[in-house]
Amino acid sequence: MIEICRVSKSYNRGQVKAVDDVSLTVQGGEIFGFLGPNGAGKTTLIKMITGILNADRGSIKINGRDIKDSPLEAKMQFGFVPDDPNIFSRLTGIEYLNFMADVYQVSSEIRVERIQKLLERFEMSTAAADLIQSYSHGMKQKIVVIGALLHNPPVWILDEPMTGLDPRSSYDLKEMMREHADAGKTVFFSTHVLEVAEKVCDRLAIINKGRMIFCGSLEEIRTHARENRSLENLFLELTENA
Amino acid sequence: MHRFWALLKILLINYFGISIFQMKTSKNRKPYFKKIGLVLLIIVALAPTIALYVKLLVRGFDALAPLGQEGAILTLGIVLVSFIVFLFGIFYIINFFYFADDAQSLLALPLSGYQVLGARFSVVLVNEYLSALPFLLPPLLVYGIKSGASVLYWLYALVGFALVPLLPLGLATIPTVIIMRFANLSRRKDLLKILGGLVVIVLAVGYQFLFQKSGPNAMDTAYLQHLLTDRSGLMNLMSRVFPSTRYLGLALINADQLSGLVNLLVFAGLSLLVVALAWLTGDKLYFKGLVGSTETTVKRKKLSEADYRRAGKGLPPLLSYWAKEMRLLFRTPTYFINSVMTNLLVPVLLTIPFFIQGRNQETTMPWEKLLSEPRGQTIIMAIIVGGIVFIIGSNAVTATSISREGRELYVSKYIPLSYRKQILAKLLSGYLLGMSGAVLMIIAARVLMPLDNYLIAMLVGVTLVAVIPVVEAGLLIDLYNPKLNWENEQQAFKQNFNVIFSMLLAILLGGGIIYIVIRYIHTPVQAALFILLGFGLAALFLYYFLMTWGVRRCHELEG
Repeated sequence: MIEICRVSKSYNRGQVKAVDDVSLTVQGGEIFGFLGPNGAGKTTLIKMITGILNADRGSIKINGRDIKDSPLEAKMQFGFVPDDPNIFSRLTGIEYLNFMADVYQVSSEIRVERIQKLLERFEMSTAAADLIQSYSHGMKQKIVVIGALLHNPPVWILDEPMTGLDPRSSYDLKEMMREHADAGKTVFFSTHVLEVAEKVCDRLAIINKGRMIFCGSLEEIRTHARENRSLENLFLELTENA
Repeated sequence: MHRFWALLKILLINYFGISIFQMKTSKNRKPYFKKIGLVLLIIVALAPTIALYVKLLVRGFDALAPLGQEGAILTLGIVLVSFIVFLFGIFYIINFFYFADDAQSLLALPLSGYQVLGARFSVVLVNEYLSALPFLLPPLLVYGIKSGASVLYWLYALVGFALVPLLPLGLATIPTVIIMRFANLSRRKDLLKILGGLVVIVLAVGYQFLFQKSGPNAMDTAYLQHLLTDRSGLMNLMSRVFPSTRYLGLALINADQLSGLVNLLVFAGLSLLVVALAWLTGDKLYFKGLVGSTETTVKRKKLSEADYRRAGKGLPPLLSYWAKEMRLLFRTPTYFINSVMTNLLVPVLLTIPFFIQGRNQETTMPWEKLLSEPRGQTIIMAIIVGGIVFIIGSNAVTATSISREGRELYVSKYIPLSYRKQILAKLLSGYLLGMSGAVLMIIAARVLMPLDNYLIAMLVGVTLVAVIPVVEAGLLIDLYNPKLNWENEQQAFKQNFNVIFSMLLAILLGGGIIYIVIRYIHTPVQAALFILLGFGLAALFLYYFLMTWGVRRCHELEG
C-alpha cells in the first residue's frame, strides 16, 4: 500500500511548483496508473515516493513505513524501475542483478533461481554475461525490471516502463504487473500512453501542472465526464481545462 | 578551413563549459560567478608556491650571474614546461581524442582527419597554455626584469611562450595516435587503450632518460668545468631532455643580436615541423583509431547453472556496493587513467632511471650517506610519506566519488543501503587504491635506495594511518559540491574543480609533513609518532564529520 498525504515539491525557491498538495492512497491488489502530459509532475512524485527527492511538505508511507522517518525499511518494501534505464553500463547484466540482490539482501539460493527464471521470461539469458553497455534500450529496460523484482517486493513502482520495449516484452510486463497485483501486491506506474492505462489499470489518477485533477476508476472518470467517450478525449479535456 | 574554425569554436565552448553569450543572456548568473570565484580561489591557493618559485629564480639568477650563466633560469623554465606539457599532453590526448563521447558523433560529420585532430589538438593546446603559465611566466619575467632586457627580449618571450607547448604536445601526439590505431584493432579495446596509454608514457619517459644518459657524465671534472665556465653550459645540460629548448634559450639571451633571431626562427621551425608531422600522422591514423572504438564485444553466451551459482554467492550490501565502485573505476578508461594509473605512474617514473642506468656507485652513494644517520632517515621518511599523501590526493578517487555517479546518483538514493554504509564503501575504495599506490611508492623507494627493513616497516605502519584523512577529506570536498551534471565521463574528472582542490590539499598536507618533520623532528621514531598522532586525530575528526554532516548532505543531494 502507498499512502501519499498532502505532498508538495517546488523548484527555484518556490517559483515552480512541480507537485502541489497531492494526496493519494493505492491499495494492495491493484494496479494504479498515473497519467499526465509531459512535465506534469509524474516523475517528481515518483522520485519522492522512492526517496530520490525530498518532499517540501506532506508525508509518504509505503506499507506503513514513512520514507522520511524510516527510509531503509520503506525502501525494502518496493522495487523501482526508473524512466531512464541507462545505469551501470560497465557492469555485466549478471553483475548488476547480483548487486541488486545483495543490496536487497536476497539469499543465494532464492536469487539464483529467480534470476534464471526472470532472465528466461524476458529472453535475456544469453545477454546476461555481456556488459550492459552492449544492450539495446529495450534490453536495458528489461534488466532493470528484473533487478527491481528480485526481492519480490510488496510494492512495485515503475516510471514509464513500456518505453522502448518490443511488443512481446511489453505484453509480458503487463502480464507480470497483473500477476503481481493478483497476488495482493501493489503496482504503481506512470505512463503517458493512454491505451496502456486503459487496458491495465484498476484505478488511475491524472496529474497536470503539479496538481492532481482526478483520481478514480476508469468508470468513475467516464461518469465524471458525463458521457462515454474515449479516454483520450477525456484526458485532453481534463488537462486542457485544468 | 571554415569548418576547422567552426569545430574549434564548438569544442572550446563545450570543453570549458562557458559560453560568453550564455553568460550575458542568462538570468541566473550565480553559476558563472561561482566558477570565477573558484578560479580565483585556486589562484590564491597557488600564490605561496608561485612566490617560492619566483624567490628561487631570483636567487638562482643572482648566484649564476657572476658566472655569466643566468640564462640557465630561462632554460629551466622552458624545459620544465616542455616536460609538463608532454606528460599532461599524453593524458589529455588519450582522454580528449579517444575517450570523449563526442569523439564518436564527429565521425558522422563531413570533416577530415586533420581538421578534427587539429581542432582537438588546439583545445588541448589552450589547456596546456594555462598549465604552462605559472611555470614559464616567472622565469621570463625574472630574467627580463633583472637583466634589464630590451623590447626585443619581451617580444621574443611572447613569441616563445606561444611556441613552447607546440613541440612537446606534437611529440606526445605522434606515438599516442600510432599506438591507439593498433589498440583499436583488438577486441578488448578499453583495456588495450589503457595499456597503450601506459606504454606511451613509459616509452616516452624511458627515451628521455636514455637521451640524458647518452651525454657526458655530469660527475666528470672536465665536463663540470665546462659546465661552469661556458656561458651556455648549464643551459645545454638542462636542455638535453628537450634539445630544441636550447634554441629558445639562446634566442632570449641573445635577443639583441642577429643570432637571437636565427635561434628563434630555428625553434619556431622545429616546433611547427613537429606539429605538422603530428597532424599528418593524425590525418592518416586518427579516424582509424576512432571508428568503432566504442564497440563492445558481445558474447551472447548462455550462462550455465554453475555460472549462476558462482556469480550468485552474494556479498554483504556494503561490500557489494564497494565491489561495484571498484569495477566501474577499473572498467571506465577515463577513471582508470586518471585515478588508478596516477597511483602506478609516479613509482614507475621514479624507478625508470634506475632500471636504465643500473645501480651504480654514484646513484646510491648520496642515499647511503643520508640513510646512515637518524636525521637522514627522518628526512627520507618525511619525503616518502609526503609523496604518498600527494599521490593519494591527486588520484582523487574519493574526491570524485560522488561526482562520478553523475545522473546515476538517484540509484544510491532509492536502494535500501544507508548513506553511512555508502560513505564507508567509498572510503574503502579510496583507501585500498591509496594503499596500493603507497605500497608501490615504498617499493620504488626501496629499489632506489637502501632502506632497511625497520624503516620500511615504520613507513608501512605510518602510511596505513596517513592515508585515511586524505581519503576522507577528498570525499568531504566532493560531498560539499559534487559535479553531477556531466555528459561524458571525462568531464567528471577533467572539468571538476574538486580534483584540483584535492590536489591542493594534498600539496598542503604532504608539504606540511615534509616541512614540519625536516624542521623540527630528528629521529624516524619521533617522526612516525608525530605523523601517526596528527593524522590519526585528523582521521577521527573527519570520520565524525562524515558520519554526521556527510550523511545529512547525502540526504540533501538531489541529482
